[in-house]
Amino acid sequence: MHGAASSATQVFLGLSPLAVSLAVFILTYAAIVTEKINRSIVALLGAGLMIFSGVLQQSEAVAGIDFNTISLLTGMMVLVAITQKSGVFQYVAIVVAKWVKADPWGLLVMLSVITAVFSALLDNVTTVLLIVPVALLITDSLRISPYPYLFSIIFASNIGGTATLIGDPPNIMIGSAVGLTFTDFVVNLAPIAAIIFALTLIPIYLIWGRKMRAAPEDRAQVMAFNAKAAITDPLLLKQSLTVIGVVIAGFVMAHHIGQQPGTIAMFGAAFLLLLRVLGKNSEEQSHETHRTWGEVEWVTIFFFVGLFVVVAGVEKAGALDLLAGKLLELTGGDFPTTAITILWASAIFSAVVDNIPFVATMIPVIQKMEPVFGAEQLRTLWWSLALGACLGGNGSLVGASANLVVAGFAERAGQPIRFLPFALLAFPLMLASVAVSSVYLYLRYL
Amino acid sequence: MSIQSIPYCPPTIGLRPGSSLLDALKLMLEKHINHLPLCDDTGKFAGIVSTQTILSELIPVSARVEHGLSDLKFVGDATRLLSSRLHDLEHRSVGEFANKNVPVLEEDCPILEAALLLSQSTSPLPVIGKDGKLRGMLSRRIVLTYLMQQAGF
Repeated sequence: MHGAASSATQVFLGLSPLAVSLAVFILTYAAIVTEKINRSIVALLGAGLMIFSGVLQQSEAVAGIDFNTISLLTGMMVLVAITQKSGVFQYVAIVVAKWVKADPWGLLVMLSVITAVFSALLDNVTTVLLIVPVALLITDSLRISPYPYLFSIIFASNIGGTATLIGDPPNIMIGSAVGLTFTDFVVNLAPIAAIIFALTLIPIYLIWGRKMRAAPEDRAQVMAFNAKAAITDPLLLKQSLTVIGVVIAGFVMAHHIGQQPGTIAMFGAAFLLLLRVLGKNSEEQSHETHRTWGEVEWVTIFFFVGLFVVVAGVEKAGALDLLAGKLLELTGGDFPTTAITILWASAIFSAVVDNIPFVATMIPVIQKMEPVFGAEQLRTLWWSLALGACLGGNGSLVGASANLVVAGFAERAGQPIRFLPFALLAFPLMLASVAVSSVYLYLRYL
Repeated sequence: MSIQSIPYCPPTIGLRPGSSLLDALKLMLEKHINHLPLCDDTGKFAGIVSTQTILSELIPVSARVEHGLSDLKFVGDATRLLSSRLHDLEHRSVGEFANKNVPVLEEDCPILEAALLLSQSTSPLPVIGKDGKLRGMLSRRIVLTYLMQQAGF
């Protein structure tokens, strides 16, 4: 028994680990795409099958889970759960809504801009968790369809997240693995992110924007919003913005102080929880803490956990190595071809599978190319990977965690975003953004 | 001792799930009650509709769902918004808003068990016969009135 369990290649019915892992992987993704069963259940069932079938042992499955990402997401969700009670994010959204006189198209642009900016400074999931409820309230008040807003918020969050080291998990992973700084990311990725953001608004205008109308009395309802009244708790506002500010500063300096973003986010979350319970009796403390933990998007977290294990299975079985080998074979060692291929391959893969495990696999592959291309040229490949992985997230609903969070909220609010209709528009738009990135890489680095 | 000894409210006002929501609301306002039981054509219990459900339906959905907006003070005067949403409910049926997950009391339910369930519930609870048919509604007030009498007050 024990001998069989510890043998890495012993797989169910003597089938090859590659075939079994691919079967589980494809089944899991097929089940996610059909949306018949909650995605966190599907991912965890797939993870269990990877272990029971012998592709992975439990210890390997656990090792496949990127706890830096899990802690970063959970920590930020806790910070958001506490901070959002202060109303500061509603405040910003209402201010911009009134700037544009509650005009539906102006509103879409402004909500997208603040989503992009917040996504660059906070993580995408955090940002969309804050913006989507306000956006839905405003579209509800204007009596217009929220779908174009949700669509634009997804795109803005992924494009904004591309711009900085802390904006998107792939950037966090690349930055910490390779030692690129916050400034490196801003200088190299923020300009192209801004260009793509502006260009993306054009098709959104042509498809929805030019037809958007809201009745004057409904716009008056939004104009009657009192932004200052949105700030409900000034003490909480000070405490939470201070902690978030320190956490963001921590992300900026993470490399210098030798810490991972996951630790910083979790510590910040625990510290803000401490500030909130100080001076309260044990019953109030328990209530406050339970409430805050209860607001973490556990469906998203456990979806990540399950997905990491499923991807660890195909990774261990060698399916991803085969892909990487093919990639090197394809480019034949030519530098511009390699850079553009990494960009496009990352984008396509990130649209279909989660970009985090994909990027985790690509990092060592690219590092092995250093003898061929040299350290200086290698930097360009990191920008290819970051652009592809982050922008690729726009290609489908499962392309990025922020997409899933928006979809989750939209579903609870009775405005479900379906997988295929979303992909039919999002995938071509994503390809266009990658085409623009190719031009940028070519002009600036190649 | 079971709740059969308590003169609970028979379902003099029971609506079909297909009835109009606004009619149900008018009825509740007129009768000064907050909950109405629903019965299907055979008299089987089909859920409870309440003024709370109807009021919550008027609130923008972004504030109603998990992780939604927790404070709407900034919206200012929303009378027009709320009353226009009331108009949206005009052609909806009461069955769409029925809460079918309320605990139900069997006819022979002991009084203490009924008191426990009522103490945990915000609404009166339906009393259901063995055939699944609605026998009536038991409220906290009815139980307390009965107990006050029994205690000799």
